[in-house]
Amino acid sequence: MKSKTSLPAVFISPSMIVLAVLAFVPTVFAINIAFQDKQLSSEDSHYVGLANFIALFSDRRFLNSIVVSLTWEVMTVVATMCIAVLLGILMFEAASARMRNILSVVFLIPVLMPRVSAAFVWKFAFHPLFGLAVYPYKAITGQPLDLLANPSTALATVAFVDVWQWSLFFSVIILHLLESLPHEPLEAAELDHARTWERYAYVALPMLKIPLISLTFVKMIESLRSFDLIYVMTRGGPGIKTETLDMYAFSQGFIESGNISYASSMAVLMMVATTIAFTALWKRVHA
Amino acid sequence: MSSRGRGKWVAKSAVALAAAIAVIPALWTLLNAFKNRVDLVTPTPLLIFHPTLDNILYVLGRESVTAGLINSILVSGASVLIGMVLGLPAAYAVARYPIKRADDIQFFVLSLRFLPPVAVAIPLMVIWLDLGLYDSRVALIATYTLLTLSSIIWLAVPAFKRVPKEVEEAAKVDGYGPYAIFFLIALPVASRSLIGAVAFSFVLVWNEFLIALMLTTSDAKTLPIVASELTQLGRDVPWGILNASVILLSLPPLLFIGILSGFLNSVIKKKA
Repeated sequence: MKSKTSLPAVFISPSMIVLAVLAFVPTVFAINIAFQDKQLSSEDSHYVGLANFIALFSDRRFLNSIVVSLTWEVMTVVATMCIAVLLGILMFEAASARMRNILSVVFLIPVLMPRVSAAFVWKFAFHPLFGLAVYPYKAITGQPLDLLANPSTALATVAFVDVWQWSLFFSVIILHLLESLPHEPLEAAELDHARTWERYAYVALPMLKIPLISLTFVKMIESLRSFDLIYVMTRGGPGIKTETLDMYAFSQGFIESGNISYASSMAVLMMVATTIAFTALWKRVHA
Repeated sequence: MSSRGRGKWVAKSAVALAAAIAVIPALWTLLNAFKNRVDLVTPTPLLIFHPTLDNILYVLGRESVTAGLINSILVSGASVLIGMVLGLPAAYAVARYPIKRADDIQFFVLSLRFLPPVAVAIPLMVIWLDLGLYDSRVALIATYTLLTLSSIIWLAVPAFKRVPKEVEEAAKVDGYGPYAIFFLIALPVASRSLIGAVAFSFVLVWNEFLIALMLTTSDAKTLPIVASELTQLGRDVPWGILNASVILLSLPPLLFIGILSGFLNSVIKKKA
C-alpha cells in the first residue's frame, strides 16, 4: 500500500470546511447579536454589553420557561426509556419472529411522521368535542375533557405525543439489541429458576448497559426539539404553562416584540448549557 | 405453568395495544381525510360515512400547498444531494484511514446536533437578511446542508467500517488505486446501509419545522409550514382539509419505512 495518498485530505476537508462555516458563522453571529439591542423592525443597533443577560434573570417568563424545559426533558426522556425497555422485553418474550418483523415496521410509523403532522393528529384526537382519544371519557362521564386547555395536564399531554413518537421506535431498537445477545447467560439464569423479570433486570439489561446509555443520550438531545409539537398543539399555553425555552425565544424574537437581541441572548445561553452538559456526558460515557 | 401462560397472554395484549396506539392515529387521520365536515364534527366518532374526495382535491388544488410541496422537494432533495456528495467520501476517509483526529471529527459532527435550532435560526435570519437571501430556497438549502451533511457522515462511518477489509485489500492487490477502491468497491458494497443513512437524512429535513418557520415568509415556505398554517385557522376550522394536508405531508417519509426498518435491523445485528 502506498502510505502517502491524498484521499483523506481530499475527502474530509470539503465537508469539514462546509460544516465549520455553517456552524461557526451563525454561532459567532448569535453571540454578537446577544450583546446588542437589535430589533427586527429597525436597521441600527448598539452594543449594550450584558444588559440582555441581566434582564433575562429577572424575567419571570424566562425563569418559567427554564422550568418548563427541564420538566419536559425529564418527563420525555424517562417515559420514553421506561416504555421502550418494557415494550422491547414484552415483544422479545411474547411475539413470534413474524410478528416481530411486522411490529418493527409498524412501530416506526409515529417517529417517521413529521412532528407537525403528529402534533395535528393528536391535537384533533384530544379535541374536547370531536376527539377520538377523549371520546371514551366523554361517553362515560358525559363531560367534555379538554386536556390541552387545562394548565395541569397540557404539558403532559404534549409530552405524550413526543413519547408516542420515540418510545415505540426505541422499543424496536431494544428488541433488536435483545436478539443480538448470546443465549447462554439467559438460559443459565432460567435453569437457576430466575423469574422472568429477574432474568432481564440482573442479566439481560446489564449486558446492554452501554447501548441503553447511548439511547438515553440520543433521546436527551432529541428532546431539546420540542418546538414543533408545542407550536402546533398549544403555542405555549394555556398562559405560559407549556412555554419552553425555544418557544419563548421564538415569541420574543418574532411574534410579540421582534426583539432579536433578547431572543438571541436566550439562544446563546441554551447553546452554552447544552454544549457543556452534553460534552460532559459524552466524555463520561466514552471514558 | 399456568401463571406463565397468563403472563404470555398479558404480554401479548400489551404489545397488541401498543401496536394499535401506533397505527390508529395515522389510519384515523386517513379516514378523516375522506369525511365531509358534518361527519367530522360529530359528538360520536364515525366509522361509517359517505366518503368524499373534496378535501384531497382542495388541498392538491391549493396554490400554497403546491408551492410548499415543490419547495419541500427541491430543498430536501438538494440538501440531501449535497450532503451525500460531500459526506459519503468524508465518512469513508474517517472510517478507513488512520486519521489522528478521527474521534474529534466524529464528536464535532455529533455536537452539531446539540445546537438548539433556535440558536441557529435566529442569527441565520439576520445573516440571510443582510445577504438579501432571506426567504429563498438557496438559503434554506445551505442551512439544511448542516443537518444532512452531519447526519450522513455520522451514519455512514459505521456503514463503511462494516465493509470487509479483505475485499478492499484484494482490490488493492489487483492494482486499484485508493480512489478507485472507494468508488468501485466500498461504495457499492456498503450501498444498502448508505441508502438507509441517506433516507434518514431526507426524513430529517423533510420534517424540519422550526428553521423553515424562521427563515421563510412566503416564497420559500416548505410543506410543514403550509400545513401548520392550516392548523392555526380560526374558529370554523376546515378539519377535513387539515386531515388531508397531514396525509400529504406524512406520505413521503412513510414511503421510506421499509428501507429504514431494514437499515435499523442491519445496524444493530451486525454490531453485536
